[in-house]
Amino acid sequence: MTEMFSTLFGQNEAQGPPGSSSLGFGAGKPQPPLPQNQVSMVGQLPPQLGDEGAAMRKPAAMNEPFYLLRELPVGNELTGNTNLITHYNLEHAYNKFCGKKVKEKLSNFLPELPGMIDCPGTQDGSSLRSLIDKPPVCGNSFSPLTGALLTGFRLHTGPLPEQYRLMHIQPPKKKSKHKHKHHRPQDPLPQETPSDSDPKKKKKKRDDDPDRKKKKKDKKKKKNRHSPDHPGLAGSQPNSNSLR
Amino acid sequence: MAEKFDNLEEHLEKFIENIRQLGIIVSDFQPSSQAGLNQKLNFMISGLQDIEKCRQQLHEINVPLEVFEYIDQGRNPQLYTKECLERALDRNEQVKGKIDTMTVRALDQDH
Repeated sequence: MTEMFSTLFGQNEAQGPPGSSSLGFGAGKPQPPLPQNQVSMVGQLPPQLGDEGAAMRKPAAMNEPFYLLRELPVGNELTGNTNLITHYNLEHAYNKFCGKKVKEKLSNFLPELPGMIDCPGTQDGSSLRSLIDKPPVCGNSFSPLTGALLTGFRLHTGPLPEQYRLMHIQPPKKKSKHKHKHHRPQDPLPQETPSDSDPKKKKKKRDDDPDRKKKKKDKKKKKNRHSPDHPGLAGSQPNSNSLR
Repeated sequence: MAEKFDNLEEHLEKFIENIRQLGIIVSDFQPSSQAGLNQKLNFMISGLQDIEKCRQQLHEINVPLEVFEYIDQGRNPQLYTKECLERALDRNEQVKGKIDTMTVRALDQDH
Protein backbone atom coordinates (compact mmCIF):
# COMPACT_ATOMS: atom_id res chain seq x y z
CA MET A 1 0.00 0.00 0.00
CA THR A 2 2.76 2.40 0.95
CA GLU A 3 4.64 1.52 -2.25
CA MET A 4 1.62 2.44 -4.36
CA PHE A 5 1.30 5.67 -2.44
CA SER A 6 4.94 6.57 -2.95
CA THR A 7 4.85 5.61 -6.60
CA LEU A 8 1.83 7.84 -7.12
CA PHE A 9 3.78 10.75 -5.77
CA GLY A 10 6.93 9.56 -7.49
CA GLN A 11 5.32 9.93 -10.97
CA ASN A 12 4.89 13.63 -10.42
CA GLU A 13 8.44 14.02 -9.28
CA ALA A 14 9.75 14.15 -12.81
CA GLN A 15 7.46 17.03 -13.57
CA GLY A 16 8.98 19.02 -10.74
CA PRO A 17 7.18 20.94 -8.07
CA PRO A 18 4.87 23.56 -9.43
CA GLY A 19 6.20 27.06 -9.25
CA SER A 20 4.72 28.95 -6.44
CA SER A 21 4.55 32.12 -8.52
CA SER A 22 2.40 30.46 -11.13
CA LEU A 23 -0.21 29.58 -8.49
CA GLY A 24 -0.23 33.00 -6.95
CA PHE A 25 1.56 32.19 -3.67
CA GLY A 26 4.58 33.99 -2.39
CA ALA A 27 7.97 32.35 -2.06
CA GLY A 28 8.29 30.26 1.03
CA LYS A 29 11.25 29.15 3.08
CA PRO A 30 13.80 26.91 1.32
CA GLN A 31 13.38 23.31 2.36
CA PRO A 32 16.28 21.56 4.14
CA PRO A 33 17.65 18.37 2.55
CA LEU A 34 15.42 15.44 3.27
CA PRO A 35 16.01 11.67 3.28
CA GLN A 36 15.08 9.96 0.04
CA ASN A 37 12.07 8.05 1.37
CA GLN A 38 10.44 11.25 2.57
CA VAL A 39 11.11 13.42 -0.48
CA SER A 40 8.22 12.13 -2.48
CA MET A 41 5.76 12.65 0.34
CA VAL A 42 6.87 16.06 1.43
CA GLY A 43 7.77 17.51 -1.94
CA GLN A 44 4.37 16.81 -3.46
CA LEU A 45 2.23 18.15 -0.67
CA PRO A 46 -0.47 20.54 -1.83
CA PRO A 47 1.14 23.84 -2.58
CA GLN A 48 -1.64 25.88 -1.00
CA LEU A 49 -0.38 24.79 2.41
CA GLY A 50 2.89 26.47 1.73
CA ASP A 51 6.42 25.49 2.52
CA GLU A 52 6.10 26.44 6.18
CA GLY A 53 3.43 23.80 6.70
CA ALA A 54 5.61 21.17 5.08
CA ALA A 55 8.48 21.96 7.40
CA MET A 56 6.22 21.71 10.43
CA ARG A 57 4.67 18.46 9.34
CA LYS A 58 8.02 16.83 8.68
CA PRO A 59 8.66 15.66 12.27
CA ALA A 60 5.13 14.31 12.55
CA ALA A 61 5.38 12.64 9.19
CA MET A 62 8.60 10.93 10.18
CA ASN A 63 6.90 9.39 13.22
CA GLU A 64 3.94 8.08 11.30
CA PRO A 65 4.15 4.52 9.94
CA PHE A 66 1.47 5.46 7.47
CA TYR A 67 0.00 8.77 6.48
CA LEU A 68 -2.61 9.90 9.04
CA LEU A 69 -2.08 6.70 11.02
CA ARG A 70 -0.62 7.77 14.30
CA GLU A 71 0.67 5.54 17.01
CA LEU A 72 -1.88 4.68 19.67
CA PRO A 73 -1.43 6.47 23.03
CA VAL A 74 0.27 4.59 25.81
CA GLY A 75 -2.30 2.80 27.95
CA ASN A 76 -2.80 4.10 31.48
CA GLU A 77 -3.30 1.57 34.22
CA LEU A 78 -5.32 3.99 36.36
CA THR A 79 -8.65 4.76 34.73
CA GLY A 80 -12.12 5.61 35.89
CA ASN A 81 -12.82 1.90 35.93
CA THR A 82 -11.06 1.58 39.28
CA ASN A 83 -12.41 2.92 42.54
CA LEU A 84 -10.15 5.91 43.08
CA ILE A 85 -11.24 6.29 46.70
CA THR A 86 -9.76 2.90 47.57
CA HIS A 87 -6.80 3.42 45.25
CA TYR A 88 -5.71 6.55 47.12
CA ASN A 89 -6.60 5.06 50.54
CA LEU A 90 -9.34 7.58 51.23
CA GLU A 91 -11.88 5.12 52.62
CA HIS A 92 -11.40 6.30 56.17
CA ALA A 93 -11.82 9.91 55.14
CA TYR A 94 -14.88 9.04 53.06
CA ASN A 95 -16.53 7.18 55.93
CA LYS A 96 -15.66 9.96 58.32
CA PHE A 97 -17.09 12.80 56.24
CA CYS A 98 -19.78 11.11 54.18
CA GLY A 99 -20.82 8.31 56.52
CA LYS A 100 -21.86 10.56 59.36
CA LYS A 101 -23.85 13.72 59.20
CA VAL A 102 -21.53 16.72 59.19
CA LYS A 103 -23.01 19.69 60.99
CA GLU A 104 -23.64 22.81 59.01
CA LYS A 105 -22.42 25.58 61.29
CA LEU A 106 -18.90 26.77 61.86
CA SER A 107 -19.47 26.76 65.62
CA ASN A 108 -19.85 22.98 65.48
CA PHE A 109 -16.36 22.76 64.00
CA LEU A 110 -14.90 25.27 66.46
CA PRO A 111 -17.01 24.93 69.61
CA GLU A 112 -14.51 26.62 71.91
CA LEU A 113 -14.21 29.78 69.89
CA PRO A 114 -15.95 32.71 71.60
CA GLY A 115 -18.24 35.17 69.91
CA MET A 116 -20.74 34.92 67.07
CA ILE A 117 -18.76 32.97 64.47
CA ASP A 118 -21.75 31.63 62.56
CA CYS A 119 -22.55 35.04 61.14
CA PRO A 120 -21.11 35.83 57.70
CA GLY A 121 -17.75 37.54 57.85
CA THR A 122 -18.86 40.28 55.47
CA GLN A 123 -21.24 41.69 58.09
CA ASP A 124 -18.58 42.75 60.55
CA GLY A 125 -15.62 42.97 58.18
CA SER A 126 -13.92 39.86 59.54
CA SER A 127 -13.99 37.84 56.33
CA LEU A 128 -10.95 35.90 55.16
CA ARG A 129 -11.62 37.08 51.63
CA SER A 130 -10.98 40.68 52.62
CA LEU A 131 -7.70 39.52 54.15
CA ILE A 132 -6.67 38.03 50.81
CA ASP A 133 -7.86 41.01 48.76
CA LYS A 134 -6.25 43.56 51.08
CA PRO A 135 -3.39 41.85 52.90
CA PRO A 136 -2.20 43.62 56.03
CA VAL A 137 1.20 45.20 56.27
CA CYS A 138 3.69 42.48 57.22
CA GLY A 139 7.39 42.35 57.73
CA ASN A 140 7.66 44.50 60.82
CA SER A 141 8.90 42.71 63.88
CA PHE A 142 6.80 42.40 67.01
CA SER A 143 8.34 44.18 69.97
CA PRO A 144 6.88 44.38 73.48
CA LEU A 145 5.28 47.62 74.55
CA THR A 146 7.44 49.81 76.72
CA GLY A 147 6.23 52.00 79.59
CA ALA A 148 5.92 55.04 77.37
CA LEU A 149 3.84 53.16 74.84
CA LEU A 150 1.66 51.65 77.53
CA THR A 151 0.59 55.09 78.69
CA GLY A 152 -1.61 55.19 75.61
CA PHE A 153 -3.62 52.31 77.06
CA ARG A 154 -4.76 54.07 80.19
CA LEU A 155 -8.50 53.68 80.13
CA HIS A 156 -11.35 55.47 81.83
CA THR A 157 -13.09 53.56 84.61
CA GLY A 158 -16.58 52.24 84.22
CA PRO A 159 -18.47 50.01 81.83
CA LEU A 160 -18.24 50.23 78.09
CA PRO A 161 -20.99 52.01 76.15
CA GLU A 162 -23.56 49.55 74.84
CA GLN A 163 -22.67 50.15 71.22
CA TYR A 164 -19.20 48.76 71.83
CA ARG A 165 -20.28 45.73 73.84
CA LEU A 166 -19.64 42.88 71.40
CA MET A 167 -17.38 40.52 73.31
CA HIS A 168 -19.97 39.06 75.59
CA ILE A 169 -22.52 38.27 72.94
CA GLN A 170 -22.67 34.52 72.64
CA PRO A 171 -24.94 32.52 70.39
CA PRO A 172 -27.81 30.92 72.33
CA LYS A 173 -26.84 27.39 73.20
CA LYS A 174 -29.69 25.17 72.22
CA LYS A 175 -29.63 22.27 74.64
CA SER A 176 -33.12 20.98 74.01
CA LYS A 177 -33.19 18.39 71.26
CA HIS A 178 -36.93 18.59 70.82
CA LYS A 179 -37.45 21.86 69.11
CA HIS A 180 -40.29 23.06 66.96
CA LYS A 181 -38.78 24.12 63.68
CA HIS A 182 -41.54 26.53 62.89
CA HIS A 183 -41.52 28.15 66.28
CA ARG A 184 -39.46 31.30 66.45
CA PRO A 185 -39.27 33.75 69.30
CA GLN A 186 -40.32 36.59 67.03
CA ASP A 187 -43.13 34.86 65.22
CA PRO A 188 -46.41 33.87 66.84
CA LEU A 189 -47.21 30.21 67.36
CA PRO A 190 -48.41 28.57 64.15
CA GLN A 191 -52.01 27.51 63.87
CA GLU A 192 -52.87 23.84 63.79
CA THR A 193 -53.57 22.24 60.47
CA PRO A 194 -55.07 18.82 59.85
CA SER A 195 -52.30 17.95 57.41
CA ASP A 196 -49.62 18.04 60.09
CA SER A 197 -48.29 14.55 60.69
CA ASP A 198 -45.27 15.41 62.84
CA PRO A 199 -45.42 13.55 66.18
CA LYS A 200 -44.24 16.64 68.03
CA LYS A 201 -47.12 18.58 66.57
CA LYS A 202 -49.42 15.73 67.51
CA LYS A 203 -48.26 16.08 71.08
CA LYS A 204 -48.95 19.76 70.92
CA LYS A 205 -52.37 19.01 69.50
CA ARG A 206 -53.06 16.80 72.41
CA ASP A 207 -52.30 19.59 74.81
CA ASP A 208 -54.45 22.07 73.00
CA ASP A 209 -57.38 19.77 72.64
CA PRO A 210 -60.35 21.31 74.55
CA ASP A 211 -61.44 17.93 75.86
CA ARG A 212 -58.04 17.33 77.28
CA LYS A 213 -58.13 20.72 78.92
CA LYS A 214 -61.42 19.89 80.58
CA LYS A 215 -60.08 16.62 81.84
CA LYS A 216 -57.05 18.31 83.26
CA LYS A 217 -59.23 20.83 85.01
CA ASP A 218 -61.30 18.05 86.49
CA LYS A 219 -58.20 16.30 87.70
CA LYS A 220 -56.99 19.46 89.31
CA LYS A 221 -60.30 19.95 91.05
CA LYS A 222 -60.21 16.42 92.38
CA LYS A 223 -56.72 16.92 93.68
CA ASN A 224 -57.68 20.12 95.35
CA ARG A 225 -60.70 18.46 97.01
CA HIS A 226 -58.50 15.78 98.52
CA SER A 227 -55.86 18.24 99.71
CA PRO A 228 -56.06 19.32 103.39
CA ASP A 229 -55.86 23.01 102.49
CA HIS A 230 -59.15 22.93 100.63
CA PRO A 231 -61.86 24.66 102.80
CA GLY A 232 -64.70 22.47 101.58
CA LEU A 233 -63.13 19.24 102.68
CA ALA A 234 -62.76 19.82 106.38
CA GLY A 235 -66.27 18.82 107.35
CA SER A 236 -67.58 16.93 104.36
CA GLN A 237 -65.22 13.97 103.99
CA PRO A 238 -63.96 11.66 106.71
CA ASN A 239 -60.34 12.02 107.58
CA SER A 240 -58.41 9.10 108.95
CA ASN A 241 -56.34 11.37 111.11
CA SER A 242 -59.27 13.01 112.81
CA LEU A 243 -60.42 11.69 116.14
CA ARG A 244 -63.94 10.94 116.85
CA MET B 1 3.09 17.17 60.23
CA ALA B 2 0.29 16.91 62.72
CA GLU B 3 2.58 18.28 65.42
CA LYS B 4 3.00 21.53 63.49
CA PHE B 5 -0.77 21.92 63.32
CA ASP B 6 -1.16 21.09 67.00
CA ASN B 7 1.49 23.62 67.89
CA LEU B 8 -0.19 26.35 65.86
CA GLU B 9 -3.60 25.42 67.20
CA GLU B 10 -2.35 25.65 70.76
CA HIS B 11 -0.84 29.08 70.19
CA LEU B 12 -3.99 30.33 68.49
CA GLU B 13 -6.20 29.08 71.31
CA LYS B 14 -4.03 30.80 73.89
CA PHE B 15 -4.05 33.98 71.85
CA ILE B 16 -7.82 33.98 71.50
CA GLU B 17 -8.29 33.28 75.19
CA ASN B 18 -5.97 36.15 76.02
CA ILE B 19 -7.96 38.48 73.76
CA ARG B 20 -11.20 37.34 75.36
CA GLN B 21 -9.87 38.09 78.83
CA LEU B 22 -8.63 41.45 77.57
CA GLY B 23 -12.15 42.19 76.39
CA ILE B 24 -13.58 41.31 79.80
CA ILE B 25 -11.12 43.65 81.54
CA VAL B 26 -11.91 46.46 79.16
CA SER B 27 -15.69 45.99 79.30
CA ASP B 28 -15.77 47.19 82.90
CA PHE B 29 -12.44 48.81 83.56
CA GLN B 30 -11.22 49.65 87.06
CA PRO B 31 -8.01 51.47 88.03
CA SER B 32 -6.66 48.33 89.67
CA SER B 33 -7.03 46.50 86.35
CA GLN B 34 -4.39 48.64 84.61
CA ALA B 35 -1.50 46.32 85.50
CA GLY B 36 -3.43 43.31 84.28
CA LEU B 37 -4.33 45.13 81.10
CA ASN B 38 -0.68 45.95 80.40
CA GLN B 39 0.25 42.34 81.02
CA LYS B 40 -2.44 41.09 78.66
CA LEU B 41 -1.28 43.50 75.97
CA ASN B 42 2.27 42.16 76.20
CA PHE B 43 0.93 38.60 76.18
CA MET B 44 -0.88 39.50 72.97
CA ILE B 45 2.37 40.63 71.38
CA SER B 46 4.25 37.53 72.51
CA GLY B 47 1.37 35.43 71.18
CA LEU B 48 1.74 37.09 67.80
CA GLN B 49 5.46 36.36 67.91
CA ASP B 50 4.78 32.68 68.59
CA ILE B 51 2.27 32.50 65.74
CA GLU B 52 4.83 34.16 63.46
CA LYS B 53 7.33 31.43 64.32
CA CYS B 54 4.76 28.74 63.47
CA ARG B 55 4.26 30.30 60.06
CA GLN B 56 7.73 29.28 58.93
CA GLN B 57 6.96 25.61 59.54
CA LEU B 58 3.75 25.70 57.51
CA HIS B 59 4.77 27.63 54.39
CA GLU B 60 4.27 24.53 52.20
CA ILE B 61 0.65 24.04 53.21
CA ASN B 62 -1.86 24.99 50.51
CA VAL B 63 -5.47 25.67 51.38
CA PRO B 64 -8.14 25.83 48.65
CA LEU B 65 -9.82 29.21 48.38
CA GLU B 66 -13.23 27.58 48.43
CA VAL B 67 -12.63 26.63 52.06
CA PHE B 68 -12.29 30.31 52.89
CA GLU B 69 -15.65 30.95 51.27
CA TYR B 70 -17.25 28.33 53.47
CA ILE B 71 -15.72 29.89 56.58
CA ASP B 72 -16.80 33.39 55.55
CA GLN B 73 -20.35 32.13 55.19
CA GLY B 74 -20.24 30.64 58.69
CA ARG B 75 -20.34 27.08 57.38
CA ASN B 76 -18.36 24.08 58.55
CA PRO B 77 -15.25 23.66 56.35
CA GLN B 78 -15.58 19.88 56.66
CA LEU B 79 -18.59 20.23 54.37
CA TYR B 80 -16.16 21.24 51.60
CA THR B 81 -14.17 18.03 52.11
CA LYS B 82 -17.39 16.04 52.12
CA GLU B 83 -18.59 17.64 48.91
CA CYS B 84 -15.21 17.10 47.23
CA LEU B 85 -15.29 13.40 48.06
CA GLU B 86 -18.88 13.06 46.90
CA ARG B 87 -18.15 14.85 43.64
CA ALA B 88 -15.06 12.69 43.05
CA LEU B 89 -17.03 9.51 43.63
CA ASP B 90 -19.87 10.71 41.43
CA ARG B 91 -17.49 11.56 38.60
CA ASN B 92 -15.69 8.25 39.08
CA GLU B 93 -18.97 6.41 38.69
CA GLN B 94 -19.86 8.40 35.57
CA VAL B 95 -16.54 7.57 33.89
CA LYS B 96 -16.82 3.92 34.90
CA GLY B 97 -20.27 3.83 33.34
CA LYS B 98 -18.92 5.26 30.09
CA ILE B 99 -16.06 2.75 30.03
CA ASP B 100 -18.43 -0.15 30.69
CA THR B 101 -20.81 1.05 27.96
CA MET B 102 -17.98 1.35 25.45
CA THR B 103 -16.64 -2.08 26.40
CA VAL B 104 -20.04 -3.70 25.93
CA ARG B 105 -20.47 -1.96 22.57
CA ALA B 106 -17.03 -3.08 21.42
CA LEU B 107 -17.80 -6.67 22.42
CA ASP B 108 -21.14 -6.56 20.60
CA GLN B 109 -19.44 -5.30 17.46
CA ASP B 110 -16.86 -8.05 17.62
CA HIS B 111 -19.60 -10.66 17.85
